[in-house]
Amino acid sequence: MRKTALLLGSAFVALAGLAVTGPAGAQERSVVIKGFGAKSGVVRSFGVNSEAAMRAAAELINSQGGVKLGDGATGKIEVEFLDDRCTAEEGISVVRRIASGPTLVAIGPTCSNVAEPLFGVLQKKAGDASDSGLQFPIFTDVAIKGGLAKISEWAFRNVPSEAEMYTSLFSWVKQTKPDLKTIFAGVEENFAHSRATWYAVMKEAAPKAGLEVKGEAKWLLEDTNFAQQVREIKAAAPDILAIAAHPFTTCGVLKEMRRQGVKVKMLIGLTSSSSLETLQGCAREAEGIVIPTSFAPVNQAAEAAAAQAAKFNGSLDLHSAATYENMFILKKLMEEQGVLAKPDTVQADREKIRKGLAALKETGGLLGTSKRTDDREAVKPYLYVHAKDGKWVVLHNPVTN
Amino acid sequence: MGFVDYVQAIIDGLLFGTTYSLIGIGFTLVFGVMQKINMSYAAGSLAGAYCGLVGPQLMGLPPWSVFPLSIAASGVIGYLIYLTCFRFIPLASPLATLMSTVGMLLLLDEIIVHSTAGMPQNYPAIYDGDPIEIGDFMLRADLVGVFLVCVVAMAVLLALLYRTRLGMATRAVAQQPVAAQLCGMRLQAVNGLTFVIAGLLGGVAGAMIGASVGMLSPLIAGPITVKGLIVTVIGGLGSIPGAIVAGLMVGAAENLFQALRNVTERDIYVMLLLFVFLVVRPGGLFSGRGHD
Repeated sequence: MRKTALLLGSAFVALAGLAVTGPAGAQERSVVIKGFGAKSGVVRSFGVNSEAAMRAAAELINSQGGVKLGDGATGKIEVEFLDDRCTAEEGISVVRRIASGPTLVAIGPTCSNVAEPLFGVLQKKAGDASDSGLQFPIFTDVAIKGGLAKISEWAFRNVPSEAEMYTSLFSWVKQTKPDLKTIFAGVEENFAHSRATWYAVMKEAAPKAGLEVKGEAKWLLEDTNFAQQVREIKAAAPDILAIAAHPFTTCGVLKEMRRQGVKVKMLIGLTSSSSLETLQGCAREAEGIVIPTSFAPVNQAAEAAAAQAAKFNGSLDLHSAATYENMFILKKLMEEQGVLAKPDTVQADREKIRKGLAALKETGGLLGTSKRTDDREAVKPYLYVHAKDGKWVVLHNPVTN
Repeated sequence: MGFVDYVQAIIDGLLFGTTYSLIGIGFTLVFGVMQKINMSYAAGSLAGAYCGLVGPQLMGLPPWSVFPLSIAASGVIGYLIYLTCFRFIPLASPLATLMSTVGMLLLLDEIIVHSTAGMPQNYPAIYDGDPIEIGDFMLRADLVGVFLVCVVAMAVLLALLYRTRLGMATRAVAQQPVAAQLCGMRLQAVNGLTFVIAGLLGGVAGAMIGASVGMLSPLIAGPITVKGLIVTVIGGLGSIPGAIVAGLMVGAAENLFQALRNVTERDIYVMLLLFVFLVVRPGGLFSGRGHD
């Protein structure tokens, strides 16, 4: 009797074990995607928002059944976000650490000054046996300085094309406000993105749209006194002032303009300034500033994504929206490429992801379809927003108008 | 750029330079008493200014409350810095307190970054009206206010140091710590009080920096620390009048260099100025007058 009970008990335990780790358990694997970016220092908000967007997307994907892997198993996305402090050394070190584990692909970084050297340590040409560079796919969401993905065939970006956006914005300004003839800039000289956006993008695009460039006033990222620069703006008396700077100094200059009573007919801002930071720092002074952006909650999908990110204490903006999109792009791509997500197929899976990303001609996004270029960059849909009553409001949508 | 612009640049620099003076005084005050540099002083001052924002932002207090709250909070932070970075650290080791205060600087910076997500915070101006125009020149009325507040703060400090028993004790400990102890002065209490006074002064500086910029950002802490150290060295380590003059000088010089050359070259010339002083007058402007 005792023996029978013991046998029955053992059988029950075994069956229960099978039920738990049976078909579903054996067929479910982790798909590790890691994010990295600034989560400390003055650009912490970029990392906080990217992480929230990543987790929000992962939760949604997993709740909808996860990733269908190549052998029919289900992959549940596992997310971790690492801090690179917006420094190149830490960014490279973080990615080397990520690449040494089971992670299939990484999303990041947030800073262009990290992306540029980081892409340099990746293998330049995929499959080149003579190049010992890191063979690990990176799908950048935030670092926006133009043309960085061409550095390595393992680097891909889903960031908006500023050249395209500002060219379009200036043409639209010229068409809708023909009385605006001159433009002057305020440039944050020691920040890669700000500098590149004025000198390589806006300064090139403005004359093509028929605007006369009257010069630029310069300051540094950590400056606190803008009296001289604002006097230069006053002396130039431009119709348009383009501020290629991040929120802290953008607000500093706008506040100084108010104090000195300097007014221009139109203010144009840097893409990265279409964020909560600007409104938090100087909503009153920023009123009316026009900024092209690749995200605004203008449709159901975008609204839902913003709400989902808010659940993870993040805010969706042009940068973190790209993080959110990247997760869904990767999910689809891993299914198409038959990724297995097994411990012994990590490198093969990475290569599949790289090939899949390289082959993409277009991707779905929150504002619509983005085109992919041959040099692994994106051409994303965009719109113009302006600051109105302490909020970012859509001013013009070139796609729908 | 013409003559008027250069003079205007110097005026702007002098007005803003008072905040450098206050930071420099804080460095010099602590150095005068303990012969140690408190690298976290500027960060502590800005942390105090951030704490001041709690009043209007979270407690619904009027905007002006930010100023007394910032000053009080900075005084408390000053004392906490004393406790954590000096009180229980072996003072005989010259590097120990230097490293502990560098650590505190980074810690305070990260606390601010984490509690604000690095976002700039709006800070009220002490005066929000039109600038004062005198002929071709323009004075920012709020900066004139900042200048006056800083001058008053310096005057109060000097009165405290030279007209009160506490000031006498502080100076006694600075000049002859052993003799001061033999006379019954409690070294730790005087040191702690010096940090509180320096903290309160830093609170004024932090609040005035916030008021003149119109915002607070963790970005400010690093450059202000560097400016404070430059001011302390140029003024003469331990010299309060030296810190006052050097603060105004550095403020004016950096604005003038910016006007003459370029913003990207500005700091090169300020650093060269520092090197010139280190070579030609290593004791600083007021080296001949001894420590205060």
